[in-house]
Amino acid sequence: MTELMTPGSLLALFVAVPLLCAGLSVILRQRVVDRILLVGVPVLAIAGAVALMLFHREVPVLASAIGAYEGGIAIPLVSDTLTALMLATTGLATAASGWFLTLTGEARLRFVPALALLLMTGVNGALLTGDLFNLFVFVEVMLLPSYALIAVTGTWRRLGLGRMFVIVNLVTSLILLMGVGLVYGSAGAVNLAVLAGRAAEDPQVALALTVVLLALAIKAGVVPVHGWLPRAYPGTSAGMMALFSALHTKVALYAIFRIYFTTFEPGSPSGAAGAGMASAVAGVIAVVVLATMVVGAIGSLGEQRFRGVLAFQMVAGVGHILIGVAVTSPAAVAAGLFYLVHHVVTMASLLTTVGAVEHTYGTGVLGRISGVMHRDRLAAVLVALGLLSLAGLPPTSGLWGKLGLGLAVAEAGETGPAGAWQTPVFLVAIVVSSVVTLVALQRLWGSSFAGAPLHRYWPAAPEGGRAKAQTLEGEVRIPLRLLAPGTMMMGVSIALFLFAGLLMPFIDTATAGLFETGPYIEAVLP
Amino acid sequence: MLVLAVTVGVLTAAGVWLLQQRSMVRAIFGLTLISHAVNLLLLTTGVPGWRVEPLMSTAQAADAADPLPQAFVLTAIVISMATTIFMLALAVIGRDDDQEKVPETGEEHA
Repeated sequence: MTELMTPGSLLALFVAVPLLCAGLSVILRQRVVDRILLVGVPVLAIAGAVALMLFHREVPVLASAIGAYEGGIAIPLVSDTLTALMLATTGLATAASGWFLTLTGEARLRFVPALALLLMTGVNGALLTGDLFNLFVFVEVMLLPSYALIAVTGTWRRLGLGRMFVIVNLVTSLILLMGVGLVYGSAGAVNLAVLAGRAAEDPQVALALTVVLLALAIKAGVVPVHGWLPRAYPGTSAGMMALFSALHTKVALYAIFRIYFTTFEPGSPSGAAGAGMASAVAGVIAVVVLATMVVGAIGSLGEQRFRGVLAFQMVAGVGHILIGVAVTSPAAVAAGLFYLVHHVVTMASLLTTVGAVEHTYGTGVLGRISGVMHRDRLAAVLVALGLLSLAGLPPTSGLWGKLGLGLAVAEAGETGPAGAWQTPVFLVAIVVSSVVTLVALQRLWGSSFAGAPLHRYWPAAPEGGRAKAQTLEGEVRIPLRLLAPGTMMMGVSIALFLFAGLLMPFIDTATAGLFETGPYIEAVLP
Repeated sequence: MLVLAVTVGVLTAAGVWLLQQRSMVRAIFGLTLISHAVNLLLLTTGVPGWRVEPLMSTAQAADAADPLPQAFVLTAIVISMATTIFMLALAVIGRDDDQEKVPETGEEHA
């Protein structure tokens, strides 16, 4: 147990190991090494994150000042239970996506493993950092490989979509940078521990922080600024989409939770000068969250492709997760965090399974393939379970996700920004979103998985891309190995349904860490 | 102080206008202008007047400029330069492909 002797400095390994392995992958250029790194590094990260979660049962917050400068001047890497939970969840989804990329052969493309590892570097850094400017830098580290990855594989539209993705994300990054600058100008610091509670005291700091929150909302795909997500993601390949959906939006969501709860301290009653500003911000958040839930669900009704439907479901999921930020009771935050874990797992399972269907039959357009249920039983079962999970039905983690949110909203009563209206409005939004989601998913299932047997398909052409439609022969089936990552993630989802009790203590600790900022500040500023 | 604020505003407005154009190269120019605006904004968060270089061996802390915004701007310039080069490459590769080019891979428009 020598690692625990200097626990704080080990946090940097979450950033350093993927970064060095990315370099290793570029230098060695061996397929075997690439495959081992692409799956092995995320697995290592999961192991490290689980160890960290167990460690946090005794030491709630672990901080390490990079370069051993004084607290407040140094750039800190900070980890608490929430951080460790996010590291484990994103690591799990990265491992599944990486596995799927090696199975479809996309990992053979030059630099793909290195870029995926760089993406992971940025994600881990953004989760660990306790400094707003450093957050901007790690978000850029995360985005630069994504710009390349989104254009590597997928349909021929990906180049145009890649340009759109770059421009949207670059503008967002500039807004984030602007917000960080304004925070520094108004508060004189960009260290989260120093900024703790400042937004509740000073309207100027609160205004500057809303610029930061706006940028993060764009990155998360919150409704009035969600348009880029359902357009960009279905254009890239399923494996890449699984990777992106687990990482990009979820990192932004984590940052929203962390920054909002640390700086605005919405849980504590305050009569401070910034209270008016803070309650205005809370009102805007409530409206936006409601819109995100409903618009995401309705949008998925109108999509023509598997992954278009799933992309809008991601938007709806973002709305559900952010209920924790809108209804700021501990129960709602815990339910939102559980929903986040559930959503990452379910989406990774669905995207890799649907990706296997697309990879085999050459199209992801609804109605162009049908009757997959009769040919590939396992794929059909996995997709059915995934859709049930999205709708919030057993035997999957979705049930506890939706139920937890509903109960938390019902319990929270009149304390939230919308006052007496809050409980009915949020409950109606959850129900409407779920029913519309069910209709949209039923349409996906009915047009493609049930129905007449398939008779045409578009086999992969040797020179890359897709050949002309061909008559489907009897022996063409989805290879079972392609379904393995989806099966694994669905197993995790069902395990979350059966053994949710094992995870809940960690989620409760993570929630408590958001409300009680004392230990966080003490660890960063000793 | 006002001069700086107006400059930031004009740069941002021009950048947003350029960003609305269809051409990728114009959009890149627009983004460059906005990033200049943000860099100026970051610099104003230190003391905007001219101050002594923040080298503690030669200057007093009271006279020196705040080094942190300068470090921010330096980092931001490096990042925006990298992304600008990448976007210029995208502009060269994908010229007109969203309007005229037909896919060569046999995929259908769907």
